[in-house]
Amino acid sequence: MIKLTIDGKTIQAQEGSTVLEAAKAADIFVPTLCHHPQLTPYGGCRLCMVEVEGARTLQPSCTLPATDGMVVNTATDKVLDARKFVLTLIFSERNHFCMYCPVSDGDCELQNRAYDEDMTHWDLQPNWQPFEVDASHEFIILDNNRCILCRRCTRACGELVGNFTLGFEERGANSLLVADYNVPLGESTCISCGTCVQICPTGALIDRQSAYQGKETEVDHHIGVCVECSVGCQRDVLTRDNRLVRIEGDWDAELTHGLLCDKGRFLPLEDDRSRLLTPLVRKDGQLKAATWDEALDAIASGLGKAQGLAALASTRLPAEDLVLFKSIFTDGLKAELVTSLEEGKSTASVAKLAETMSKSFESSLDALKDADAVLVLELDLVEEHQVPGFFIKRQIPEGIKLIVADGKDNRLAAKAHVRLTLTAGEESAFLAELHKALEGKADDEGINQAGALLTSAEKPCIVYGKTLAANADEAALKHLLAVAEALGAALIGVKGEANSMAAAQLGLEAPFTPNGYQAAFVALGDENPTQKLTKRLEEIPFVVAQAAYYSQLTANADVVLPVTMWAEQAGTYLSLDGRLQKFEKALDAPEGVLTSHEALLKVAETLAVKPDTDWKASLTKRTPTVEIQAV
Amino acid sequence: MKATRSMVLVSSDPESLDMGALDVFNTLQQQIAAFGLEEEISLSMISDVSKKTQNPLVLVYPDAVIYGSVKPEDIPHIVEEHLYKGRVVAEKQISPYDLTGQIAWLSARKGTLPAENRIVLKNVGLIDPESIDDYIVNQGYEALGTVLQEMTPQETIAIIMNSGLRGRGGAGFPTGLKWQFVASTKNDKKYVICNADESEPGTFKDRLVLEGDPHAIIEAMMIAAYAVGADEGFVYIRGEYGLAISRMQKAIDQARAYGLLGENIFDTGFSFDLHIHAGAGAYICGEETALIESIEGNRGEPRARPPYPTTAGLWQKPTVVNNVETLANIPAIIRNGADWYKSIGTPSSPGTKVYTILGNVNVTGLIEVPMGITLREVISIYAKGMKDGASFKLAQTGGSSGSIIPASLQDTPMDFDSFSKAGVSLGSGALLIGDENVCVVDLAKVLLNFFRFESCGKCNPCRIGNKRAYETLVNISEGVGTLKDLDDLHMLSQQLYELSNCGLGQTAGSPLYDILAHFRAEVEAHVKLKVCPTGVCPMSGRRVYQIV
Amino acid sequence: MSFLDIDERILKIVELVDLRATPITDLKAPDVDGVTVGILEGGIANTHNEHTAIRMRERCKILVALGDCAVFGGVPAMRNFFGEEAALQRAYVDAESNDSEGKIPSSPELAQLTRVRAVNEVVKVDIHIPGCPPHADVIFYALAELAEGRIPEIKDDMLHWH
Repeated sequence: MIKLTIDGKTIQAQEGSTVLEAAKAADIFVPTLCHHPQLTPYGGCRLCMVEVEGARTLQPSCTLPATDGMVVNTATDKVLDARKFVLTLIFSERNHFCMYCPVSDGDCELQNRAYDEDMTHWDLQPNWQPFEVDASHEFIILDNNRCILCRRCTRACGELVGNFTLGFEERGANSLLVADYNVPLGESTCISCGTCVQICPTGALIDRQSAYQGKETEVDHHIGVCVECSVGCQRDVLTRDNRLVRIEGDWDAELTHGLLCDKGRFLPLEDDRSRLLTPLVRKDGQLKAATWDEALDAIASGLGKAQGLAALASTRLPAEDLVLFKSIFTDGLKAELVTSLEEGKSTASVAKLAETMSKSFESSLDALKDADAVLVLELDLVEEHQVPGFFIKRQIPEGIKLIVADGKDNRLAAKAHVRLTLTAGEESAFLAELHKALEGKADDEGINQAGALLTSAEKPCIVYGKTLAANADEAALKHLLAVAEALGAALIGVKGEANSMAAAQLGLEAPFTPNGYQAAFVALGDENPTQKLTKRLEEIPFVVAQAAYYSQLTANADVVLPVTMWAEQAGTYLSLDGRLQKFEKALDAPEGVLTSHEALLKVAETLAVKPDTDWKASLTKRTPTVEIQAV
Repeated sequence: MKATRSMVLVSSDPESLDMGALDVFNTLQQQIAAFGLEEEISLSMISDVSKKTQNPLVLVYPDAVIYGSVKPEDIPHIVEEHLYKGRVVAEKQISPYDLTGQIAWLSARKGTLPAENRIVLKNVGLIDPESIDDYIVNQGYEALGTVLQEMTPQETIAIIMNSGLRGRGGAGFPTGLKWQFVASTKNDKKYVICNADESEPGTFKDRLVLEGDPHAIIEAMMIAAYAVGADEGFVYIRGEYGLAISRMQKAIDQARAYGLLGENIFDTGFSFDLHIHAGAGAYICGEETALIESIEGNRGEPRARPPYPTTAGLWQKPTVVNNVETLANIPAIIRNGADWYKSIGTPSSPGTKVYTILGNVNVTGLIEVPMGITLREVISIYAKGMKDGASFKLAQTGGSSGSIIPASLQDTPMDFDSFSKAGVSLGSGALLIGDENVCVVDLAKVLLNFFRFESCGKCNPCRIGNKRAYETLVNISEGVGTLKDLDDLHMLSQQLYELSNCGLGQTAGSPLYDILAHFRAEVEAHVKLKVCPTGVCPMSGRRVYQIV
Repeated sequence: MSFLDIDERILKIVELVDLRATPITDLKAPDVDGVTVGILEGGIANTHNEHTAIRMRERCKILVALGDCAVFGGVPAMRNFFGEEAALQRAYVDAESNDSEGKIPSSPELAQLTRVRAVNEVVKVDIHIPGCPPHADVIFYALAELAEGRIPEIKDDMLHWH
């Protein structure tokens, strides 16, 4: 620890902190614009300048290392004049019209800093040079008139996401924020993760969907886990008047530190499917609106007559619902098939291995953050489960070695140092070869190269996904484990939906073939059912569906119960690497719509089943592939 | 260039002229010719000596002798006794202590006039730069051999430290100290970089070395690498220097072929390889950390410092960055010793400096003279006076970011400490001499345009401030400036210095500060009277708003 | 309009001040021998505005710029992106509501359009009250301070745009 004096106060600070960090730890506010806690300090805006005894000029506190015995003053006249000067310059450079900007009055850091300095007017007038507004992107609007050239967006696109789409063209006063080599943002390599929009201090980068819908300082915030895939990033869901306004990443989240992908940030607000608002019962061949009681009666009568019941639940449902579901249909009704809509494809094989070996072998996603070599098997981390892909991509300039093995088109492979072919079904042979390659003895040169890269790495990592889990037999998986052990590599198994892991822990993994089942109960939740599923259900005479939205599946069903979508229900989710995270309800459901949990309880009551609702114990009964911890 | 051995100055202020200074001058000219001394004695007028009661004055220097109340009839005696025979004429001599500070230092000056002394430019123009054999025949790679075979890295650093060599790129940082910092930073990978980005307008001293004596740089970089523990180096040459790049590449190839670059040089176990990195038209890449960023493939933007390149430079490894001229001194210092180097120049700034003479003078070009020469000597002796008999108005020393100095500072010795004490910057040694036809507003305008254009854009004060300053100067030159504009310019110059991220921004304000400090009346004429005293500015009455 | 939102408080101010000139009273310019406070609203958009601003500065000890137009240029300043010519052309010739006889009026008596500027770009301003419009409470505060002989300090919540 070192000691320094700031504004007369003696402060202890960690060795290696900057003056800004030391001041922040002591609750001394120093204004900044280009600084962001998640990014490497840049030192560009010059707003954070402070007086340091003995220094020739004012010094930027965001980059200046704090030293023992340093004496700093953050509020002298010189410093205050400098701040006003910098702000005046910024306002005069481009066109800052607060009047009709969506971030004005609360969400704009430039405006707030000017207010902090009690600025009532400008001493330098703007040039009135018009700048381009790029509205070509589906979700993002780039307005150069509001840009203060702080580079937070560019730095985030590189340092945090590893996509390097945003950059700067020209230099000096002609510097311009551009995408790729100056193409419209909508035609660029942008992957719509939206990190730039979230990190932009002004209204230069805004999200179309939520512009003018509500200020950050005035809406309701709901921090919780994302339910769009098995990574489980932490999000902040902004609502206003019971409406979804915007979704943002949580900067304070341990694993993801604010990162989200388009699936978690933008797409949920694009959902325009029709809501189911009342129960429906098929009468005379037609689905007609009914009361809950009528629907429950119809369920009781339909299920009671049936021989062979198949029960399927969506893995987007909270763990509490899945446990309840299993308790009702497996323990209570002893249904012939109780499984998830994923049918265990992304989990069954590995879960079985963990059970057989009685040990967990997968690691936390954290392992990716400082890995120096990564082997990705049959998984495109640019298309799905994107945030782990960010962890890898952003280290490529730092020297991480990437090996991608896939048989299909794989966008991540484009960034790999070594690209290998691995066709689905050939996993066992491939992994056997890879094992040999660790000593350079594989037949294929490419695999040998990969082996060499992995053996020379200090922190190697192997990532695999649904395709491998679905196609690898026990031999293949044993090879995989052997390779990981030989390398001392972290193994990361990417699963499917938000609660794939929970479904695996509950054993909801059986495949579904409509072999003469007379009835089916589908707890669909807000999932979009596949055509395949819908077709298979057509063969079953009596189908009950619990769903939030209309679909062909619900149109074919015999009884439909309207339930909540993700934002209207609270729940717990188990991520691919064992993190148990919560989501608190953010919206009130429409009148007459119940949560899946409430609907299941009603169904249980109607069928005279007393379910066990202690979900915590159920999740840990089976040896998991990765250790489970509450976050 | 041959130098004269004596300089004689005749005061020519209005009082002196009234008292017959012109006759004195003409008689001196005649007499010097009569004694056949024209080649050895340089004669000129000096207008800013104030000594009302003993005008006209005749100053002889470097003898530091001042004769007062001189009449034409005194001249033949003075010329014969003093200039021809070397004996001071005591009856006419007056004390220098009565004079203004500018001349008073003359009494401290003894010895011969600084004649050209070529160390950096020793081989330039005399050897074939494309022949490594030529270089070797002229003591080439001898210093390297000595260092690798007879000295330890610490001993090498010690010689450079003792020599007092200071960086010639503009900052004047002691080279030995810089090497010591890098040597003492523990890391198994270190680099040596030669900054050959020479983009300061008017400066082309490095070009001569790169084109005329490229092996000197290679040798120097290897000595530096050995001293600090580096095994790889880069020469960052500005892209526009095509000939320099090709000659340096050829030199590198030749050195490699001779085993003077690569593994195990001179069988001593020392390995070093050198690459050229060409710049792409950015002045800012002459700033050492922007240069490093450029080599790494990033935008040429200066980094936040600390840490400095000596601890975290290229690829975050300890790096030495030296200017071409600095490096060109190294082999000579090793060969001849630190004491030899200290005997040239001034105590605080030993050695020679290559000055670039530009502007309204009769002879422009490069000279290499011991540090400490004055501007007046440069103009009178080497540049052979102002062109067309014009009078000296201002000089800009040190390139575009240097200081604009008026005539009153002409006699300051041009070494790092004297200049810094006088509040002016020596920089890269470019000397732009302006006569009475130069408009200070126009000059500042041109300079600010250069900074505005070359600013990298990372920090707000430089990116926006330079553009605003330029626009303001344009408006002043169009006759629509206001007094508030002058206050704005003054404020911009202060804040640019205080807040900018690197030297470009920090010194961009110097021209603004200097013209307001030394030539305020001329600037105010543009604003108050809407007149450009030299007639240079357009003064169209049109206000400019957008300069893209 | 925001000014009127001061409601009945305006009566208190009227008691303390001597209103010398406004655009809607008989006296439209401040007295030649000067007044204490002058309030200017609106940006400088033509030569007439320039004269008004200069005259106000000469004759008012304390000059107040009221509202975003006066302080920053405001909405009319957007015309600066296009230039006066283009603005006149659009308004008088190209607008959909004009017939084919549209012509840009030119008479020596008409004020000439200039670049729209903030008042402090033309004359020195002593007090700036930003806001589009400034909140009635802020206007009242400023007027009350001036009426009592003090210089109002616009800061904190009074400064925030609403």
